[in-house]
Amino acid sequence: MRFRIIQMNRGILSGIRILDFTWVLAGSYSTRILGDFGAEVIKVQSKKIARGAESNLTGYFNHWNRNKRSITLDMSFPEAKEIVFKLTKRSDVVIENYSPRVMSNWGVNYETLKEVKPDLIMVSMSGMGQTGPWRDFVAFGPTLQALSGLTYLTSFPHEPPTGMGYAYADPVAGLYGALAVLAALEYRDKTGKGQYVDLSQYEAICTLMGPVLLDRCMNHEDIFPQGNHSKDIPAAPYGCYQCSGIDRWCVIAVFNETEWETLCQILGRPDWTREERFSNLSKRKENREDLDRFLEQWTRKHPPEEVVYRLQKGGVSAGVVQNAENLANDPHLAARNFFLQLEHPVLGKTVSDTSPIQFEENPWANWRGAPLLGEDNRYVYMELLGFTEGELSSYLEKGIIG
Amino acid sequence: MNAKGETEGLLSGIRVLDLADEKASFCSKLLADLGAYVIKIEKPGGDPSRKIGPFLGNSAHPEKSLFFFHNNTNKLGITLNLENGAGREIFLSLVKRTDVVVETFPPGWLHELGLGYEVLSEANPKLILVSVTGFGQTGPRSQYRACDIVASAFGGQMYVSGSPSSPPLKPFGEQSYYMASLFAAIGILLALRKRHHSGKGEHLDISLQEAVVSSLEHVMIQYFYEKIVPTRQGALLWNNSFSILPCKDGYVLISLFQQWETLVEWMDNEGMAQDLKDEKYREEEFRRRHLDHIIEVLQGWTKTHTAHELFESGQLMRFPWAPVFSPKEVLENCQLKARGFFIDVDHPEIGASIQYPGVPYQFSLHPSNRWKRAPLTGEDNLQVYQEELGLSEEELQKLSSMNAI
Repeated sequence: MRFRIIQMNRGILSGIRILDFTWVLAGSYSTRILGDFGAEVIKVQSKKIARGAESNLTGYFNHWNRNKRSITLDMSFPEAKEIVFKLTKRSDVVIENYSPRVMSNWGVNYETLKEVKPDLIMVSMSGMGQTGPWRDFVAFGPTLQALSGLTYLTSFPHEPPTGMGYAYADPVAGLYGALAVLAALEYRDKTGKGQYVDLSQYEAICTLMGPVLLDRCMNHEDIFPQGNHSKDIPAAPYGCYQCSGIDRWCVIAVFNETEWETLCQILGRPDWTREERFSNLSKRKENREDLDRFLEQWTRKHPPEEVVYRLQKGGVSAGVVQNAENLANDPHLAARNFFLQLEHPVLGKTVSDTSPIQFEENPWANWRGAPLLGEDNRYVYMELLGFTEGELSSYLEKGIIG
Repeated sequence: MNAKGETEGLLSGIRVLDLADEKASFCSKLLADLGAYVIKIEKPGGDPSRKIGPFLGNSAHPEKSLFFFHNNTNKLGITLNLENGAGREIFLSLVKRTDVVVETFPPGWLHELGLGYEVLSEANPKLILVSVTGFGQTGPRSQYRACDIVASAFGGQMYVSGSPSSPPLKPFGEQSYYMASLFAAIGILLALRKRHHSGKGEHLDISLQEAVVSSLEHVMIQYFYEKIVPTRQGALLWNNSFSILPCKDGYVLISLFQQWETLVEWMDNEGMAQDLKDEKYREEEFRRRHLDHIIEVLQGWTKTHTAHELFESGQLMRFPWAPVFSPKEVLENCQLKARGFFIDVDHPEIGASIQYPGVPYQFSLHPSNRWKRAPLTGEDNLQVYQEELGLSEEELQKLSSMNAI
């Protein structure tokens, strides 16, 4: 194994060490944010679980696990527990997103870990939370989206539900996880006390359904999917319109009469814009289907970039529906250095997003790609825990570190 | 512990001024729900986001916006006119007493009023100013107007949601605002930590578009590593691992590849596995090539069950399945209820309490949730202006007549 001790970046969180038992996306998303800003994140892996999304040499893994260290430790060995105790003693935070029983079965739940590290902060972020009748249910992002109402409502009326095409609940829970760690650190700085945090990924996505849940609760009316339309948004036209080109689209949102006036002017004031049924916002909302059809006759003749440029220049909210290629080549994101290149020892030059949290002085000068499996075993076990060469090879031989 | 012997909130002692409209009012709500002291500053007459529905009783009214209610719990509310000289003076004296200001004005607008970051940080060098806008403070698109659908489109969310035969579909609700608010709240706690060491404040620049791009899971990864441009594929997840299928009484989300043999055995026991029993389907590669057929057979079977049957039995066998819930079913959900996720918040004006979605985390040292509803327009003017800033009643009346507050 290569011996590579790289100083982790000296960001805001430098000095904070995080023992990371997360896997796949939600938990890894949390520790990615913490690692980006300088925390020393030690990801606990093993040969057995380093598969699929957890296989170190995939783009997916590299994307979500940059700026982290990797050690191998097979938790099925009883000796592994003692090693976790030693690591916990040297850490500030333990974070995990297994099902509730897993950490306890390994003998490393909060109760036991706080014995060795009384001011420990531990965050558990399982799908359903640590309590309740569904605590052991298996949930991935799409599962939670379905259970939150988001899938049902992200659909066109009178059509089968589609929902979002990817695991959105994971980043949401990941953000809450990072927020929980930082809030608990803030509290520890003030009081010297650590604590346990029970985060439910299901509840995380439900918090983003707030207004509609209040609506159903208070107004007692069934709520149906509305596609891109929304009864709650005071805008018309409001929606997604086809443009020239293959699968090219724009969005337009007109909130007031000034903006409507501007839109009419840009359209060249065709006769329909003067019709009585489009003469104010509530009438336009009422007759939105015809309105959308007329507007789309115009947008179809132009590329979305042109439509959006002209409308925005006049002060009307509009956007290009961008795909991955558009985003990778987006001049605005490029001007803001939103994507950056990270070198990976095996994958070579890789591209990644930086962070939407833009400080005046940005931290990514010394970011690095994701670690190889067990890349930091020597640093962590020998330098941090003081194992001798002999001890390390004995653990390796037995497969405990493996 | 405070004087009354109660545990204080996690973030108590942190003071936030919230100038944000709908784009980031959720940011300071996140902090307020954890115990921060947040004063929402609205322009006289109230924040424009009070016009966003849904509304209590379905009638538009600035004190009945459920959208505003949700995003402004646990905050105080004052009115202040920043376009007025006397109003700006008051604002600066509030800035001196705060840790964080969150704002969502078009880039440059505060600067034009003489309230740019340089001015604010001169008044309070420790100030953390957080600007949340559609496209950030810099770059060619910084002056573009943005709302949720614009951020969703430009951020790549819409292109991959919906059916191939339909227009791109915006995720329901105001997801870009919430994502940006979560990033902004994390940024604030990072900046506070940085300040412990440096003693200096910070100007954070958060873009809705970037917040959306950062939450796309596979989109950029597939492009950067495989040059694939992901498209919409309806109810089928991007990597074909899940699909939504019809059942007796609604729809159910089903995983397509996990525990294949268990699944086929289950279907076979009910005589509905058809040719999926064949040996060749045991190979995942083969299954991936015959996805349409598998979905067809699965659908024939799911239609003979209710969503609940499939969910409960499936979960017992560790299938990550779920019924597609409507908002009503979320409200009635036994898991959320058992964990006390919903919080009753008193609304004296309507003589009732309203059930709010609470926070998704239980901190062992954060007090149990006792929430205060969103402020009425200018509700806390007296407390903030008189008790905190020490203005006299006369001064207040004068400021009011000048339309400063």
